[in-house]
Amino acid sequence: MAKWGMVIDLEKCTGCQACTIACGMENSRLPGEHWQDVIFFNEGQYPSVQMKWFPRPCQHCENPSCVAVCPVRATYKTEEGFVLVDWERCIGCKYCMIACPYGVRFYTEEKPSYGGPDVKQVFKSNDAHSWNPPWKMPDSREDWNHGVGVQPHDVVSKCTFCYHRVSKAPKGTADLDPGNPAQREFTPACVVTCSPGARFFGDLSNPRSRVSKLIADKEGVRLLDQLGNKPQVYYLTGSGGAVPSSHANVKA
Amino acid sequence: MFPISEPKHFAEIIPYLANLWREEGTMRFIGTVLNLGHGRSAAGLWWKLCLATGLASGGYALYMLVTLGHASFNTSSDGVNWGMPIATYVFFALTSSGLSMIASIPMVFGFEQFNPIAKRCIWLAIITLIAGFAVLALELGHPFRMLWAMPTGLQVRSPMFWMGVFYSIDLVLLLIKFYLLWQQDWDSPFSHFIGAASFVAVILASGMLGLVFGSVVMRPMWFGSFTSIYYMLTAALCGAAAIVVTTYMAYHFDRDRMPEPLRSMAGSHELPMVFATLIGIALVMILTRFWTGLWSNLDGFEGFHQLARDPLFHLEVWVGLALPFVMMISPSMQRREGAQLTAAFLVLAAMFYNRYEFIISGQFVPMFKGSWVNSLVPYTPSLTEWSLTVFGFSIALGLYALGEKLFHLSATPSGEPAVEQTAEAAA
Amino acid sequence: MSDSILNPNVTRRRFLQATGAAGALGAAGLGLDLGGGLSTLTKAHAQPAGAAGGETVITKSFCHQCPARCGIDVYTTNGRVHAIYGTLDNPLTQGKLCPKGHYGVYLLYDPDRFKSPMKRTNPKKGRDEDPKFVPISWDEALGIVAGRLNALREKNESHRFAIITGRGWGASDVGILGDFGKLYGTPNFNLGHSSICSDASETVKHIMDGHHAYSAYDYPNTNYLLVFGAGFLESFRPFTGNMVAWGQMRTKSPKTRVTVVDVHVNTTGTAADRLLLIKPGTDGALALAMGHVILTEGLWDRAFAGDFTDPALKFEAGKEIDPNTFNEKWVSGLAEWWNVVLKDCTPEWAEKITTIDAADIRTVAMDFGSTKPAVALFERGASAHTNGVYNGMAIHALNALTGNMFAKGGLRGYQMKTAWAKPDVKAEEFMDDYAKAPERKKPRLDGAKTEKWPLAKNMIQEIAINQLKGDPYKMDTILFYMTGPIFSAPDCKKWEEALRQVYVIDTSAYPGETSVFADLILPDHHYLERLQVADTYPFQGYPISMIRTPAVKPLYDTKVFGDTIIEIGKRIKGPTGEYYKRLGNTENLIRMLCKGFEEKPGDNGVKDFESFKAKGVWYRKPYAFLQKDGEFYEWDGKGYDKHLTPEEVKQKVMPTATGKFEVKVTELEHYAEYVAKRLGIAPERAPFPQWIEPRHPGGGDLHFVSPKLAGQAEGRSANLPHVSAIIQPTQGGKRNVFLEIHPETAKKRGIGDGDRVRIKNDVGQIEAIARHFNGIRPDTVALPMIHGHWAQGRWAKGRSPTASTNEVTANVSEPISGLAVFHSGKVFVEKI
Repeated sequence: MAKWGMVIDLEKCTGCQACTIACGMENSRLPGEHWQDVIFFNEGQYPSVQMKWFPRPCQHCENPSCVAVCPVRATYKTEEGFVLVDWERCIGCKYCMIACPYGVRFYTEEKPSYGGPDVKQVFKSNDAHSWNPPWKMPDSREDWNHGVGVQPHDVVSKCTFCYHRVSKAPKGTADLDPGNPAQREFTPACVVTCSPGARFFGDLSNPRSRVSKLIADKEGVRLLDQLGNKPQVYYLTGSGGAVPSSHANVKA
Repeated sequence: MFPISEPKHFAEIIPYLANLWREEGTMRFIGTVLNLGHGRSAAGLWWKLCLATGLASGGYALYMLVTLGHASFNTSSDGVNWGMPIATYVFFALTSSGLSMIASIPMVFGFEQFNPIAKRCIWLAIITLIAGFAVLALELGHPFRMLWAMPTGLQVRSPMFWMGVFYSIDLVLLLIKFYLLWQQDWDSPFSHFIGAASFVAVILASGMLGLVFGSVVMRPMWFGSFTSIYYMLTAALCGAAAIVVTTYMAYHFDRDRMPEPLRSMAGSHELPMVFATLIGIALVMILTRFWTGLWSNLDGFEGFHQLARDPLFHLEVWVGLALPFVMMISPSMQRREGAQLTAAFLVLAAMFYNRYEFIISGQFVPMFKGSWVNSLVPYTPSLTEWSLTVFGFSIALGLYALGEKLFHLSATPSGEPAVEQTAEAAA
Repeated sequence: MSDSILNPNVTRRRFLQATGAAGALGAAGLGLDLGGGLSTLTKAHAQPAGAAGGETVITKSFCHQCPARCGIDVYTTNGRVHAIYGTLDNPLTQGKLCPKGHYGVYLLYDPDRFKSPMKRTNPKKGRDEDPKFVPISWDEALGIVAGRLNALREKNESHRFAIITGRGWGASDVGILGDFGKLYGTPNFNLGHSSICSDASETVKHIMDGHHAYSAYDYPNTNYLLVFGAGFLESFRPFTGNMVAWGQMRTKSPKTRVTVVDVHVNTTGTAADRLLLIKPGTDGALALAMGHVILTEGLWDRAFAGDFTDPALKFEAGKEIDPNTFNEKWVSGLAEWWNVVLKDCTPEWAEKITTIDAADIRTVAMDFGSTKPAVALFERGASAHTNGVYNGMAIHALNALTGNMFAKGGLRGYQMKTAWAKPDVKAEEFMDDYAKAPERKKPRLDGAKTEKWPLAKNMIQEIAINQLKGDPYKMDTILFYMTGPIFSAPDCKKWEEALRQVYVIDTSAYPGETSVFADLILPDHHYLERLQVADTYPFQGYPISMIRTPAVKPLYDTKVFGDTIIEIGKRIKGPTGEYYKRLGNTENLIRMLCKGFEEKPGDNGVKDFESFKAKGVWYRKPYAFLQKDGEFYEWDGKGYDKHLTPEEVKQKVMPTATGKFEVKVTELEHYAEYVAKRLGIAPERAPFPQWIEPRHPGGGDLHFVSPKLAGQAEGRSANLPHVSAIIQPTQGGKRNVFLEIHPETAKKRGIGDGDRVRIKNDVGQIEAIARHFNGIRPDTVALPMIHGHWAQGRWAKGRSPTASTNEVTANVSEPISGLAVFHSGKVFVEKI
């Protein structure tokens, strides 16, 4: 059984946000519902100012606190390592959003943060979907039990590691390389589009996979490791990249 | 004058109402029922007032929720996930737990001088819990789904699951206990057993509610075993304040109208001392938490600094808690009706804000938002969220008035109070 | 348009099997769902049947969000486009995309799109006047245009019709306008927007090495990258290609070292090894000092640039050399340049101008000079100033001094031409006497290539003023295509006045500022609905061309621009109409062009129209020329084996007057008087890269720059909520775009973080929200460009800034290239 994981090389990441946009497009996300956000920090005094950034997908933790707190088991972890939300079970209590140390969960019903009218009202849905964008993913791929597709009202959504793509990969695949035409369609959208090639996706349980080697060779680190969630997303910080030390740009 | 008195069995109600309807005709019947009887009374007035505000606030909230859904809240995934409705729920749930605890003083621990408030406490515990659940249900995305998803999910690792379990048990036990008291069963072994079980349940329930917050290590302002203990102990304070206010309310804020055992209890110094002790405990807990938080550099504790700049927080601590504490330990003031009432009102208001600031400030530092959130996250409750809070209070107060009208909330094991002095008599 | 082109060329059965509800903990099976949230109580709660579903079809196209033209795969299922990814076998994208590449799906379904041709019924024009458009048929619309055009011709006034163009590409698109102008008889057939884009960089290359073009850089093989004022990881094109290259450069061995020169901390500067925060407009001084150090430290490439006759001789600061002691090789005028300019350009001298430490200048110069191969590149940050061409010359000269011109890992070369066939129908054969008449030779409306702007290619920013002055004449009808100078040209409000005076035809598929002033709307297809070809932006030098095949049938009653022109042409009286009837339509034209591939098939096997549609791209590697150790070679099919003589180099590789890279520029010698007059320098100094103090129009106390953000598409992203939700991440933009201001600068003006401010100068004023940022120079403020749209649709309004940065940008142009000096201006900033 594969244990899917991601490696993000911050030395190569240019902070362009193509992952954010590609994810939103592939997964029919609401604007602002950034399953895969890129977060920027800056500190220091002119002219020696640091700017840092890091892309933040769901970490698909080995020990996910969101799964533990969900009172209805709507959030669950699969054997292949995906942390998913069953939109048929979710009661919208948002406890998982509270308990996720990485802030990667999103509630459907929110005031638009982008300005102007709510897209949910502009592209209204006639059925149980919360909205009906013309560019939404094909119905055949929609899968509410795994949190894939345009979500219903009042549920929590999150990055699925592109479950609808990755779960179709042949058994025994060590790495999903978007440059390989045979694997491209199984690779998560953010990995496919990442221009500098900062993202890698593969089987962490296979010591011969590229992701395993990168983690070993380039000293992959996990975000907020001290909290014990044990992410399945690793960052390579190399030179020039860094994971942030604090949560927010807090000036308090 | 058509008296409404406490029926002994539920079954009595139906023929009674049918009879009433026959006697009065439809319109007058509706009026009489909505008025809770013919006569004007304080409770009746409260009832009508709450009916009106409840309908208005609940109607507005429902309208917004049906048309806009939860987008009418000012909560967001980037900022405050749990807003004022959750704070309102926590306030009511803990007040309910506190009332159960107060009721346990005579009923479990045998301090019989507190008997006169026991039944009122139980009733209040029931209705505050109902008010809390109502607000929570309207805050949840899919409240009905919860009814099947929780039992089928059985996620035993979730504090919220256990909170649900214990508050459900709590509610059932409260209803049984109230039924027993209604039946004047104060002393049977079964009644004692229910009392004890209820006490255990309520300790666990408030503890579990504390654990909902205390278990999340990623929210450092909440994390730790402290939160559960804090919730349990401050629950008792809320319960005490609530019973003081409502008892006085039942007698037109006039101690002289109280029946004897109650009057002497109110005039004794035990009640204020219990009250003062509870305030003192709450103050110590709030201040030690605050001080620790201010001192520590841990990422996520910035909310404490924000609190230090929040005038409402200082009002809460100094006016809402410290002042009542002084009033209740002061030998010259503690027995005075005005002082007791003022203290109780202040404490209730302070504790409501306490629940609010506890929950909101714990989310001030968002999870990795960097430049997206330029500082701490801003949050002001929306009109819909306010209306849910008002709705909650309307339910609680309205049901309280209903109880006051229908049930003898001042009943004691010795039977009916000597004087039938509830509001009607006065009216 | 024929249906044939809608045939799917690549189909794949993608994931057809429904997941079979393998539902891990599927509670749906319990059938216990008691309803959803309150807002869904009235709605059927059922997940749509997930079975079957149509096949997903991938059509090939290319992007339209920036000039790069990345090849894209468009995913369509059941007639709906739901995804765009980079084309894997397109050399430019290599399967990747920048954020903007994905916007196409949202743009296609923008609910505010124009849905059919329309004409204005409100005669009054103004920003707040509703045009009161009414839908009309294409026949009527085209008839209106042809009627006006025929009438002008009858009055001998065909020059009073102009087409102003922007982001149009390829032979079936703006490429057909040349013939249209010839046949119809107007010099204003294609007034391009390049002078508000980046003409200075083309001009610099043109006058120094003979190529009026953008350059192809060999990033994957370079070891040092020196970037002046080009947001390499934000806006420099090809953005996707740059980022692909970045991944290669930063992980190869040896790792490419990068130094960035800019005025504020941005992602490019941060990702680089070194960021020099320079005073706006002084990049030239920095480059001159670097050139000075390279020469004094003996780091110049002797094989390419030449050498002293005596090894004991050297360049010493402040001392002239005897030109006879220096043998120049491929760099013409080096010794004179040293003597006239460079000898005095010490790092200490440059420090005073640029505010950059002399020590840092020296270090970077020595790194650059001693690392091979290396690339020095620049864009508008350095060149959109009154001294922009001279700044650019100083920077470009670094490539020559270090021998990186046409070298592996250096500035690899320029764009080679695609093997298009010539169309069978020749316009020349259809020119009537009217078209051939000598009086057709009239000056262009924009004044480019006239004595006013002798060296400029286009001068779009002059059009509004010229129209208002009637100089050289007043226009009757102007048709806009893919450009909106009413928003994007400096001092853009002038255009509002100008457009009141003429009949305006807008061909945009979307509402915008131009359409508010338009009399007629001839809406274009969205690019995913088009059939179109185009050549790429210079990438690796070898020719690359792409084709767009429609991913969906047009959603609305729109027409691709090329066909609109052809249809107008058919309605012009006389042989012009005949020509266009013979041409037929753009598909016909494209089929003719593709015949050229039969003889020269692409490396990927593309040999005709059909295979072109299937692959989406045609390319033939490699670039034809290579410079190695000071010698030039040509590709002979197997290797760079054919040695080139100096005469061949002049002809094929460096077509300058001297056949060399000129640091004494012949073209500027010719125009020395003009340069002297416009820039105030001695005519004899005009040919040399040198430091000229920039002029800062506008009148204010803070430099005002308007950089471009990585997520900022050109033109149309203001109405996309998905874009405003991610915009300006470095400052936390999200919904508003902030003015970057240094905290100290802000405090002096009483401006708090997040305060609303007014940005004003002689030109005008706009409002924005200020964000304190330690990463910007205290003497400068930055407000990203292309925000503040006021007529692009329901989401494109009510945000910060309130209007275009061009409302506070003076209409001043660099005199040689004609580039509008977007980054030279100054402003006042005050709290509102």
